[in-house]
Amino acid sequence: MFTGYNTKKRVNERYKIVGFISSGTYGRVYKAEGKNGRVGEFAIKKFKPDKEGELQYSGISQSAIREMALCTELSHPNVVHTVEIILEEKCIFIVFEYAEHDLLQIIHHHNQPQRQAIPARTIKSILHQLLQGLVYLHKNWVMHRDLKPANIMVTSAGKVKIGDLGLARLFYKPLHSLFTGDKVVVTIWYRAPELLLGSRHYTPAVDLWAVGCIFAELLSLRPIFKGEEAKMDSKKTVPFQRNQMQKIVEIMGMPNKDRWPLLAAMPEFGQLSSLAAGNARFHRPQGLENWYQACLKNNQYPPGSSPDNPGQEGFSLLQQLLEYDPQKRLTAEKALQHPYFTVHEKPTENCFADSKIKYPVRRVSQEDNDIRTSSLPGTKRSGLPDDSLIGRPAKRLKEG
Amino acid sequence: MAANYWESTQRKFWTFSKQQLAVERKRIEETERNLVNMYPLPDRRLLSIYFYHQLSKMARPLGIRQQALATAQVYVRRFYLKIEIRRTNPALVLATALYLACKMEECPQHIRMILAEARHCWDTSFNDISKIGECEFTLISEMNSQLIIHHPYRSLAELQTQFQLTQEENALAWSILNDHYLTDLPLLHAPHVIATTAMFLAVVLKPTQGGLQGHAAGITSALQTIGNVRNAPGQGTQNRVQKLVDWLAESSVDMEAVVECTQELISLYEIWESYTDKTCKDQIAKFVKARGLDK
Repeated sequence: MFTGYNTKKRVNERYKIVGFISSGTYGRVYKAEGKNGRVGEFAIKKFKPDKEGELQYSGISQSAIREMALCTELSHPNVVHTVEIILEEKCIFIVFEYAEHDLLQIIHHHNQPQRQAIPARTIKSILHQLLQGLVYLHKNWVMHRDLKPANIMVTSAGKVKIGDLGLARLFYKPLHSLFTGDKVVVTIWYRAPELLLGSRHYTPAVDLWAVGCIFAELLSLRPIFKGEEAKMDSKKTVPFQRNQMQKIVEIMGMPNKDRWPLLAAMPEFGQLSSLAAGNARFHRPQGLENWYQACLKNNQYPPGSSPDNPGQEGFSLLQQLLEYDPQKRLTAEKALQHPYFTVHEKPTENCFADSKIKYPVRRVSQEDNDIRTSSLPGTKRSGLPDDSLIGRPAKRLKEG
Repeated sequence: MAANYWESTQRKFWTFSKQQLAVERKRIEETERNLVNMYPLPDRRLLSIYFYHQLSKMARPLGIRQQALATAQVYVRRFYLKIEIRRTNPALVLATALYLACKMEECPQHIRMILAEARHCWDTSFNDISKIGECEFTLISEMNSQLIIHHPYRSLAELQTQFQLTQEENALAWSILNDHYLTDLPLLHAPHVIATTAMFLAVVLKPTQGGLQGHAAGITSALQTIGNVRNAPGQGTQNRVQKLVDWLAESSVDMEAVVECTQELISLYEIWESYTDKTCKDQIAKFVKARGLDK
């Protein structure tokens, strides 16, 4: 052992790289095929070394450790399955089952060439599967903390799989407040109000807010709260995300102590009152119900109560997910029991069942096919950027 | 997983019978027969005590919590179930296990801080973070990335409320849990069985009896009490113990396992009497120096 770390498995002996899928803060993802008797398609995530250009072992980042440990432990049909983890000469590869689609790509497809609504049945099935995966995670004390369309995979058989556990962590009796670990979690558009208001001890309810945002986005094909991220200053203090909070308030109205009793205890509570100053829309918010009705109308869901229309139940579910008070917000388990899932017909197990829409396969680039020696992640921008739609906010910051 | 021990990799891949452990260890020793003969080592439990002291020494200045320490101890035990100790530099393995455990238990320490503390408490010659970084790969690889550890502290906290343990009893039960990491128990039994044992012993032994190491005799009488549980539920003497005994008899806790845990702890406390830091230190130093494992 002390003549060096001896690799037992080699990624190139086991997999043939088909192409490069995407890169992000964590590293790069490749599409691969099994080799030497292994059959099927895979997505291989290669973690970037802690420091760029690091040629020596320098310690694995905490988020990589978390992801490796959680991926090894978790197993559920609605969570991306981890095939194996390969540690090979200073590199870490996590091999996942391959999923042809993700929600970002699906939403994108419905926006082009012209806007065409995602069928109500598809949305119901997606949400149902997503929540089942989330129930499993939360039951096992795992908070995902980065749910967004790009992280929700969909296989060609219409199975929804929660992916990217890079920010996920256990929340059972943490030794330190969660805030101490990662100052910023959840991509800004999907970030719950308690996080925006600086909550130190947030709960799995942050994932349910994100589910609400994703539900809204599946319906309207646009992010519901599309704020602009305030960057961290040089002192690394976390700024108040004024613009994002504004976007929420413009639709949802101001949170208040009647709706959210612990509101005044939020560290950034003081910032809220200054939001309203000089902004007329604060006093006349659109209201979620108006937003919802306008959205159904714009996207031409057939009027009346039918399986082809998300209906009043859809609104009621959305409203209870986008609840300001995290304690009142639906839990994943409660959300699954919502009438939205029982009215009309049961959600299908294949989210594409009864849908005639053909989704394009995942784009892979051929530019960088050598997973072992490829240029360091992030240094070369070939293939798709991190989130393939222009204008998506960059992902999370590294933990401090 | 984290909530569900029954589905965990700990239960599926890292819980063994005594026989399985013995067979596995014999197999590893056989692969290094010459080394094993050349460099005799103290009893595994004595080594574990020494390792614990060394880990604590590293952890204290950094303010590392008990749970991370416990996780590091389990990592070391798992690792040496796969790799013959005489092929390794234990100082490096311990430092790396602690480094990794801190990340896993959400109280990360910078690799340089760990290195500095390791150097401080081992007067060892590895002076490069890349050594720890590389050893981390080996550690994770040998554990198949199965890094989530279910500790009995959580079960004990639940039992404490259920049985309204006094502060002293609770403290004693806690220290028994701390001690069980010096034995093979974390590889042999489920956390709730270990927590039950610790609580039971704490109540029967009474914390007033002073130091733990002298407890072998007390535990023996506790064992008899457990024997009574199995033979004649409801026939105990003391009230408080009675309540426990009744609960144990009715609960699904495996009594055989509780007895086994108790015996394991007795023999730990017995062998502890013969512990000296120096023997462990010297015997480890012998093979490390001779084989240049610290280079």
